[in-house]
Amino acid sequence: MKDRVRSMAKPRKSSVDRRTFLKNTAAGAAALVAKPGVSKAGPLEEPGSAPPPGSSEAGSAVPSNIDVQTVDRSGSDFMLDVIKSLGIEYVCANPGSSFRGLHESVINYGGNKNPEFITCCHEESSVAMGHGYAKIEYKPLAVFAHGTVGLQHASMALYNAWCDRVPVYMVIGNILDATKRVNSVEWVHSVQDAVAMVRDYTKWDDMPVSLPHFAESAIRAYKIAMTPPTLPVVLVADGELQENPIPDHLNLTIPRLNLASPPQGDSGAVEEAARLLVAAENPVIIADRVARTAAGFKHLVELAEALQAPVIDQAGRLNFPTRHPLNQSERARELISSADVILGLENQDLWGALHFFPDQLSRTSRPITKSGMKLIRITAVDLYSKSNYQDFQRFADADVDIAADGEATLPSLTEAVRRQLNSDRQRACEDRGVKLAAAHQQALERARNAATYGWDASPISTARASAELWNEIKGYDWSVVGALTMFNRWPLRLWNFDKHYQYIGNQGGQGVGYNLPASVGAALANRKYGRLSVSVQGDGDFMYAPGVLWTAAHHHIPLLTLMHNNRAYHQEVMEVQVIANRHSRGLDRVGIGTTLVDPDISYVKIAQGMGVHAEGPISDPGELGPALRRAIEVVKSGEPALVDVLTQPR
Amino acid sequence: MTTSHLHHSPEVSALPLALPALAALLVFTSPGAATQAAKSAAKPDAAQAGNVEEGRQAFARHGCNACHGSEGKGSPQPLVGGPPIGPPPIPYRAFTRYVRLPTGQMPPFNTQAVPDAELVDIYAFLESQPLRADTATPTGNAENGKRLYVNYGCYECHGRVGQGSTQTGGSQIGPPPIPFSWFAKYVRHPLGQMPPYTAKAAPDSELADIYAFLMSVPVPPDAKDIPLLNQ
Repeated sequence: MKDRVRSMAKPRKSSVDRRTFLKNTAAGAAALVAKPGVSKAGPLEEPGSAPPPGSSEAGSAVPSNIDVQTVDRSGSDFMLDVIKSLGIEYVCANPGSSFRGLHESVINYGGNKNPEFITCCHEESSVAMGHGYAKIEYKPLAVFAHGTVGLQHASMALYNAWCDRVPVYMVIGNILDATKRVNSVEWVHSVQDAVAMVRDYTKWDDMPVSLPHFAESAIRAYKIAMTPPTLPVVLVADGELQENPIPDHLNLTIPRLNLASPPQGDSGAVEEAARLLVAAENPVIIADRVARTAAGFKHLVELAEALQAPVIDQAGRLNFPTRHPLNQSERARELISSADVILGLENQDLWGALHFFPDQLSRTSRPITKSGMKLIRITAVDLYSKSNYQDFQRFADADVDIAADGEATLPSLTEAVRRQLNSDRQRACEDRGVKLAAAHQQALERARNAATYGWDASPISTARASAELWNEIKGYDWSVVGALTMFNRWPLRLWNFDKHYQYIGNQGGQGVGYNLPASVGAALANRKYGRLSVSVQGDGDFMYAPGVLWTAAHHHIPLLTLMHNNRAYHQEVMEVQVIANRHSRGLDRVGIGTTLVDPDISYVKIAQGMGVHAEGPISDPGELGPALRRAIEVVKSGEPALVDVLTQPR
Repeated sequence: MTTSHLHHSPEVSALPLALPALAALLVFTSPGAATQAAKSAAKPDAAQAGNVEEGRQAFARHGCNACHGSEGKGSPQPLVGGPPIGPPPIPYRAFTRYVRLPTGQMPPFNTQAVPDAELVDIYAFLESQPLRADTATPTGNAENGKRLYVNYGCYECHGRVGQGSTQTGGSQIGPPPIPFSWFAKYVRHPLGQMPPYTAKAAPDSELADIYAFLMSVPVPPDAKDIPLLNQ
């Protein structure tokens, strides 16, 4: 039986509804202007007598209840009480009339604190900020948006969060009662089933019809979002419910938030997995999004060390320290092909890691694993799947398949491994560990060797830019808040990542436009910890919604952005080239539609125009270090800064 | 709106190398200036001082012949095993660097496995091998090759100086660690993710120019000599 926390909401002194109030306000104002001295106590409007919403007559209706134009508190205040009870720190939103009640409650009733309103310039940015924030803070912020146009803007960002298994908590405005829509704008901003368009990639949604219903659904939505697999949820806040006074008779309470325990693997299956791993001569762990939190990072180290097994970090999150001797991410192919047991942990595409499937005209694949290899798979994604969008990837045929949260299951798996290790196996593990440590060091040397090629090139090589950046930030408590895939993963290959928050992974759904706002959102989360947030920012991604730079400047969110400016949607340059080559039609036109030149974009001017310190473009590698130092000084003062770097493609 | 799949696969490393492919030397044909320059820098005193017979034995003793064939003639199955490397056309420094820290599929051989002195001998042994068609380098214009390298989009995956990229799958090819014969075969019929270039898209003569450009890319400093890479 849950305790219930009584809301701070109090009975209202009026029960006038908000749409009547709206009409009265407009009509009353007009009447007062036109007929000075008119009585405030006009006749009550008869049901059905109001002009159609949006008609020219709507503003000239005879005022009713004109004496009741204000209320102490409306439903949105209570909604905010509920949101506050969730511990939500920020609301990211563009302003929108369908949630103006909530907006006003946040800034006035709530004092604009916990949550604080973060002004955004695009709903896609709002959600992506929440996406990045959640990966640092392990909990969602709130996103407000129109139920129609706002959610439409936000939809791709929601899909990214869905694919990335990140909780996003979205509240959207709507006016369900058609007779309460004042004008044409409210009609086009209203929808029967607002969440329908994103239901394929959200975990749960509801459209509460009363404040008690809102309270329960808001808490329920939060719990569902936070229970692995963590995913986005959407709650509809009806405009009437937001703006109408809280009815006197309501005894409003807020259910207590008590998060569900994450699902752990079945004990028998975990024992079997441990048996296979302990008996294996060449076990391999492939981790993708298993470290949801810092606890997962620690647990994976414990498992790997117990087995002295190599870890291939696919880096959907930072799952494993990069300089740990058992980090063998650089040797993925070699290890996978010789493995006798493979443990896949929360992998987005485990099949893809185990097969070779070249992008040639004839689409054929073959396994790279050896015959008889046993596959163990642990993922919470199996606990909640949908069918339309294909993010579940190709079927991986596992010998032991555990539908459970990887992070939560790791401790029991490690314990089972330790229990089953006899002295012989212990010795075998230790011998393996010695060899892996040597291989790790060799792999690091190879990465450093590879980084030397093109070291002095201009445009600047991604390896050089990465090394220059590391040189400047390594003395701080830093956190990489953007994706590194397109930067050739150089930081993950060369730097020493030993804390979970030092990398938040990629966008999940490969939706472009994620990186800049997600970086700002993650930097917002890092701000209170005093961390130096750093992002490598692709130029193509930047151009989707650069307005979030203004958000960073306006809210004083410290973030160092290094522009990976290769003047192209470079992935797509390569994609078009594949087809042009296939047709032998020449390659002189593959830049059409894929490059960002003529004119070259000045990211410096864009950033400066939004109040962000910026310099560049820098094409001489020798000038990069000093520019980064100057930018870091700005970031240390609590502001964002950008350094535009002309780079090699990858 | 979204990126499609990435060119990222365990097997995208385009060139199935085992030892640094050492494109053949220019005495066979009139060499391009850049390639000639590379050759001039190829033989420091240490390499010239190598013992051919000792090198022959070391080549076999360390198992180089398992992939590269006896006398470095290469795998009998083109593009699958080790490329022909006798004689080696790339500089001794590039050769040693590749052996120590290969960027393709060849396993590394550190100084404990193959001491420097033995590597000098192996290089001398490979150099003593007669030039053959599959180790010869055609005449190439490096300047034109540089232009073509960009125009044909090679830089997209391999970088503008052939430095390679794990993300794109483009191998390190500047300088190329395979002979021209393998280079041309691979470009026409790649085994990995690389899109094929037909002769219609890139004629043989232009491949020679591109190869010459790649051969002209200087070998970079060692990582140990770059402070930023040692922290």
